Amino acid sequence: MFTHRTRSPWRWTRLLGLLAVAGLLTVSPAQAAERPVSFTNDVVPIFTKVGCNLGSCHAKANGGRNGFELSLLGFEPREDYEHIILEARGRRVMFENPDKSLLLLKGSGQISHGGGTRIPLNSENYATIRDWIRQGARMDGPQLAHLVDLEVTPTHGTLARRATQQLQAIARYSDGTRRDVTKLALFESNDAAMAEVSSGGLVKILELPGRVAVMVRFQGRVAVFNAAVPLGAAVTTLPPARNFVDEAVFSNLKELGIPPAPVCDDATFLRRVTLDIAGRLPTLAETDAFLADTSSDKRDRWIDNLLQSPDYADFFANKWAAVLKNRRDTAGDLDSNFAFYAWIRDSLLANKPYDQFVRELLGATGTVEDNPPVAWYKRVKDPKTQIEDIAQLFLGVRMQCAQCHHHPFERWSQDDYYAFAAFFSQVGRKPSGKQNEDLIFHKRGLATATNIKTQAALTPAALGDPMAPITPGEDPRLKLADWMGSPKNPFFAKALVNRYWKHFFQRGLIEPEDDIRDSNPPSNPELLAALEKQFITSGFDLKALVRVITRSNAYQLSSVPNAENLGDHQNYSRYYPRRLQAEMLLDAIDHLAGTRTDFANLPPGTRAIALPDNSYNRSSTFLRVFGRPEAQSVCECERVQTSSLAQSLHLLNAGDLRAKLAHPTGRAAQLAKDTRPLDARVRELYRIAFAREPRPDELKTALAYLTEPLTTATGQKIPEPQALRENLQDLLWALMTTKEFLFNH
Amino acid sequence: MSANRTCHGPVPFSPTGRRAFLQFGLAGFSTLSLPGLLKLRSQAKAATGSQAPAARNAVIMVWQPGGLSHIDSYDPKPDSGSEYAGPFKPIATKVPGLRFTELLPRQAAIADKMVVLRSMRQTAGGHPAGSMQLLSGDPDTRDKPEPKYPDWMTVSNYMLAQRGARENPLPAYVGINPPLEYNGPAYLGDTYSPFVVSGDPNSPSFSVPNIGLTDTNLVRRLSRRSSLREKLDTLDRRFDQAQNLAALDAFETQALTLLTNPQAKIAFDLNREDPKVRDRYGRNAWGQQLLLTRRLVEAGVDIVTTSLSGPLCGRVNNWDDHAVNHNVFEAMKFRADVYDQAVTALIEDIYERGLGDRVLVCVTGEFGRTPKISHAASTGAGNASAPAGTSQPGRDHWPRGFSNIWAGGGIETGRFVGATDRLGEDAIERVCGPGDFLATIYHHLGIDYSTAFIKDHNGRPTPIVDHGKAIPELIGKRSG
Repeated sequence: MFTHRTRSPWRWTRLLGLLAVAGLLTVSPAQAAERPVSFTNDVVPIFTKVGCNLGSCHAKANGGRNGFELSLLGFEPREDYEHIILEARGRRVMFENPDKSLLLLKGSGQISHGGGTRIPLNSENYATIRDWIRQGARMDGPQLAHLVDLEVTPTHGTLARRATQQLQAIARYSDGTRRDVTKLALFESNDAAMAEVSSGGLVKILELPGRVAVMVRFQGRVAVFNAAVPLGAAVTTLPPARNFVDEAVFSNLKELGIPPAPVCDDATFLRRVTLDIAGRLPTLAETDAFLADTSSDKRDRWIDNLLQSPDYADFFANKWAAVLKNRRDTAGDLDSNFAFYAWIRDSLLANKPYDQFVRELLGATGTVEDNPPVAWYKRVKDPKTQIEDIAQLFLGVRMQCAQCHHHPFERWSQDDYYAFAAFFSQVGRKPSGKQNEDLIFHKRGLATATNIKTQAALTPAALGDPMAPITPGEDPRLKLADWMGSPKNPFFAKALVNRYWKHFFQRGLIEPEDDIRDSNPPSNPELLAALEKQFITSGFDLKALVRVITRSNAYQLSSVPNAENLGDHQNYSRYYPRRLQAEMLLDAIDHLAGTRTDFANLPPGTRAIALPDNSYNRSSTFLRVFGRPEAQSVCECERVQTSSLAQSLHLLNAGDLRAKLAHPTGRAAQLAKDTRPLDARVRELYRIAFAREPRPDELKTALAYLTEPLTTATGQKIPEPQALRENLQDLLWALMTTKEFLFNH
Repeated sequence: MSANRTCHGPVPFSPTGRRAFLQFGLAGFSTLSLPGLLKLRSQAKAATGSQAPAARNAVIMVWQPGGLSHIDSYDPKPDSGSEYAGPFKPIATKVPGLRFTELLPRQAAIADKMVVLRSMRQTAGGHPAGSMQLLSGDPDTRDKPEPKYPDWMTVSNYMLAQRGARENPLPAYVGINPPLEYNGPAYLGDTYSPFVVSGDPNSPSFSVPNIGLTDTNLVRRLSRRSSLREKLDTLDRRFDQAQNLAALDAFETQALTLLTNPQAKIAFDLNREDPKVRDRYGRNAWGQQLLLTRRLVEAGVDIVTTSLSGPLCGRVNNWDDHAVNHNVFEAMKFRADVYDQAVTALIEDIYERGLGDRVLVCVTGEFGRTPKISHAASTGAGNASAPAGTSQPGRDHWPRGFSNIWAGGGIETGRFVGATDRLGEDAIERVCGPGDFLATIYHHLGIDYSTAFIKDHNGRPTPIVDHGKAIPELIGKRSG
């Protein structure tokens, strides 16, 4: 390996040599007619296309594989040029004999290359690079036409299932020229289950109906092809449209020819909406009253009831507390955890307008004790994390990539990142008198942040929106809040309605819900726009949004698929079931078992859904095993909803569960003592667990089990009362481990 | 810079090796036909030993929480003066030129069955950051309460799960009193956390919860209620196009098998071992923990970790021998015999039972301990402490150079790799970092660490090894 000592003088001779070669070439008449190959516009795109400059290969941080470093996805051609020309003793390019250039020998796999053959001999890409070397391996001058836009044709289309469509990528340059770059562009489907796309831009639609997008990328520019894939079935019966949500969902289903499921029955609705708004199962009394109610507006009234209940605030506070990182790192955090949680919960209970909620959080000053949202600044200290969290959580924009390089799928540059960071540059901290807690204040001064690459000091700008100058006396964070809350803001309302839509429908209109970008279009743009408009017009009223969503027939569709809509997973032609989250499930089990779980420092009877922070995951194996988040991430995806062996073992045999089933005052014990006929007791159990009556076969199975005589392993008869108690425990266990119980459906 | 200072050392000369191929290729590839080229390339590949394994490889990691004093064990520096050298005399081992301290006579006698890596280096001085560096490759030097990246165990569990359903009813990843304090699954989620066995396996009352229930009444009841559930589990499943319910069913079956299948219980039942084998490991917690690791890999578990902690360590229950905690030398003496016996037994047993190729064993802590001895007043409490108030020696945290040992995995044993300087302070030859450590383990499990990325919560693809390569001497003949 050669070192820095030998490198510098060598670099100079290499550069001089290059100039000489370049000089020779410019006077050679034979070469003059040939189109000069541009490093930036012709060569670098090849590196990107064939994958040389991926993070796993030569754009690996700190050096690149085998000491050959390229910038990620070719965003820095000038640096790439220097790495190629000036390093490795100049063996990467050989002017005299371009085919002997290491770049080509390795890229074409003629000599051992960890990345295999990327640029085959005799390929067009090989020829381009060879020509560039032969022409003197020059860097482009300042007069080079630069890429100004990328277009894809067609931009959209309706494609049958199993159809194909060739896309064409056209680059537009500053000198007005246009060039077909299909062979050099990168193509990616946003839903691999719906469409595949080849490296050459041939889209192949698969079996599933719906909407799918293909992102086309070329040198930092992005274009999108949108395809509608109809199922083409006859949509003859549609539930009546109750509001604009239904209009948008049903018109999309009609357009795609996907017949929806019918509206679900009362029992299903009651259980579903109570879980989705209040995070709990309906009580026996609520179920009985609701099922007996014959009025036509009972579903709407029940929704209003739930929205007024403190359970709504508990459940949604739980959701927000996790992504706002209300995390207990040390025992000393308790006060701040409780205060921050209470502030979130009270805000939701009082239905504080969402823009105001965000404004109070963003612009928080003072101490946690006096102003609880300061707790967010306690937990999220690093200004970079602050802007990344704010952008992802409240704007649905993932800025992380742009800290170090141009965002690969987005228009965000490093300038955008640091100009956004500048909003948080004047957050002052001083000791609050409490350990680990700062007093947050606005530090007077001109807000700027430095782009680490260009070293330019940037003033605040919100995702490309220039701001009026902010004076040293103004807190830039409040200006950011103003910008967010403006009715014209294209991100703020959209991000929230999409997040809430996902809460109720299991799948965001944009998915993942906090990755909103031009290259990731919504599955139903009209619906998203209508929700956004409604939310803004209502004055950012969260309860009104929940009301609009849950009142719709679209939300109230049955989860049972019909023959046609079986494959639909994004058009909401039926309800998509989801496993209850950890806290809900623990509460539901307590509800069915007639028991409760106690938590430290909280009043007895506090439900798991109302826990203020993550610290209880340590004492509750149940919550941990079922994936309650640790409030580490701003993404709701931290919550684990997948099944695991540990979960199954827990349900099967965990001590806490066994204790609940056998609790002396629990459900099984009570029902064993109950004098009503056995079938009445079973019916009640079903209404508690599922908000419905058992079907005759279920009743029969349950009764047969309950009355079966029991013997021990050694053949001794177990006395009847004890046998009934044990059988009741078994029945409870069987009900709470059915899919019908574990899932919201 | 000498090539020998990097972890991978100089490129060894080998006529069919990659370097030879490269030279040949440069000189005369143009005259070679394509089939000839392919043949040459496959020869080059065979020479680097990347052949597909016939059965699943496994890893046992024995963890010394708090950090083993390398000076007083595998890297003695008798000539470093009284401020550095401890009281323990170096002894010869079975390997010429390799010396241990007198604390490890049994391991010295089987040193030909291991590789000692004396040049581990990381950059974090705290237990949390040090553990996270080594186990997850996180370069952060600051301590934080939760890991940012998943540790190699959960990454491996995740990567192995991607290959398809496991046929063995035992979990893929089991921790026996595992190190769980400063590592974990991070964004992979608890699905990939270990099946944890805790308690003292030497205790007569030791039993593993959730495995092979002995109470036949309970077994009958579980089976009976499971069949009731099957009848009542009537939810219309057509919605489940993503097969989530099928996955749930599979886990339920596996759970029931673990609980009721005698085979599952047998894997964890140390009473089925020959008493002489149990004696050989040592009739104490550590000995039986290591015996259990061997039983489990034999039964088909892929990843087993176990932590040598608890009362056998002395007063603070770990290897953190600051002067305020322990007299470091007394503490080392206190635990050495049990440690030496258990590790020796494990290594010998692995080979004797034909697991020497398939199972890679690694014994390590998060760092070493300061070569320079410090002093503080003893509290006098517990084992291995001087009388209260008197000054006693200790060693503090030391990440700049430390040792770990490796066995099995088909590696060529009986050698030592790397070196620290005269005082044992800095790794100076073949300096290996956490990335090299992780890559070595992944390579053995057949995980392509150079291309594997896992997406974090933000969707950012994160490499499982950011910087590092499998250590050549620790690549076995059938790993990868």
